[in-house]
Amino acid sequence: MKVLASTFGEGDHNKVLDAMRRLPYERLVLIGERGLADSSSFRRIRDFEGLSGHDVDVEAVETDDFMELVNEISAVLQKHARNPSTGERNALVLNISGGSKLLGDAALIAAFRLGIEACHCDHQMTKLPVIRGATALDRFTPAQIRFISLLGGDFIQLDDIVVQFGAPSKQAVERVMRDLRKLDLLKTEVRNGRVSVALSRAGEEVSRALGKNCSS
Amino acid sequence: MLESNMVAIFGTLGYRPKSLIPTIRSTPDVDKVVFYCGADKKDAEAVAKVADAKKAVLDYCRTMKLAVDAVELDDPFDFKSIAIKIRTDIKRHKREGKEIAVFNIAGGTRPTSSAALLTCILEGVPTVYVHDVTYEEIRLPLLRMEYNQVLSKEEREILKILLKNRSKEMTEVELARLIGKHKATVNHHLRNLIAKGAVRLENHKKDSRKKIVRVEESTELLLGDDE
Repeated sequence: MKVLASTFGEGDHNKVLDAMRRLPYERLVLIGERGLADSSSFRRIRDFEGLSGHDVDVEAVETDDFMELVNEISAVLQKHARNPSTGERNALVLNISGGSKLLGDAALIAAFRLGIEACHCDHQMTKLPVIRGATALDRFTPAQIRFISLLGGDFIQLDDIVVQFGAPSKQAVERVMRDLRKLDLLKTEVRNGRVSVALSRAGEEVSRALGKNCSS
Repeated sequence: MLESNMVAIFGTLGYRPKSLIPTIRSTPDVDKVVFYCGADKKDAEAVAKVADAKKAVLDYCRTMKLAVDAVELDDPFDFKSIAIKIRTDIKRHKREGKEIAVFNIAGGTRPTSSAALLTCILEGVPTVYVHDVTYEEIRLPLLRMEYNQVLSKEEREILKILLKNRSKEMTEVELARLIGKHKATVNHHLRNLIAKGAVRLENHKKDSRKKIVRVEESTELLLGDDE
């Protein structure tokens, strides 16, 4: 199924109409702040869609905390990326031009995080350079992903990680750690002569993108 | 002109200098500020408000003895042009060996902010947002979009050739000839590129058996001026 999702706010019906005209779709999903369904712009889109005998799916998100908003939009996109009745993958396209600046920017990050095709429609359409299907998983080796999955925001001793990692040598784990540090994904400290490791904020974002909830 | 090893911060500016100045304050050893602004020229009130904000930031930077570039955008609603402009500027700064400490994307029009964010993802520039109410800086933990990791060497080569020849109507056979590879090999890579959303095939106007290979416009933003 072809799904068109769009960020949306009051006064944005023309942006969504632009996207509807340019992108083929069978289901329309609007993502916006709570109360979106009460807006006159939404009613115009809903009445217009009603002419084709279809409803509009509304996904309300909280827009106070930026990264939480990215997480909420990611969850919405993941939900609509598959057809719930058949389990098949939907052809999902996201338009980021509607709604507040915060909403549009958070949607852009979510699109890159999940490898969802995205565009910016406002008079003209600009496709965003998201590589379809390429997610955070593609950027890391299996060993790096395993290392990240063992960590949270709290410090853990490297020796404990080595045991949990199950690698043939401590050096192999240290090599993975060095590579991740170069990417600014880890923070390290020495306590009582022992190295401890935790995810940096960027590392936590990677961890979330890989589908693991962080402890901090 | 800046010396090498100098630190610059970038930002987008709308009506509120308070959305940009906290980043100048919180970034150590800043030597230069580059900010992008612009308003709908038909909206006199918006033009006046942006001019006031620009003057405030310029005054602040001069008082702090910081070099400053205020970049006036021709059309602050033209997402693609803004993204290309900002990316070109960032690449130039990088080539000159200057460090871009942070990019503040809080101000400006929605397309300006989103275009700046896109550029930060593509270029791996640290990015901050300033909260509308508290003016607290929020650091965005972005992952750089490394197209080298998601496109093979052959796929990148094909995209660069298609971008260079985008005004021409090129078939698969012509593309294979230009690259010097077998048609079946090029066909394999094209299928992958179509699946990734980087190219599309269109029917030839005169010969329905042929397909024209078109590069998606997003590929220009993806590869930047690396070709």
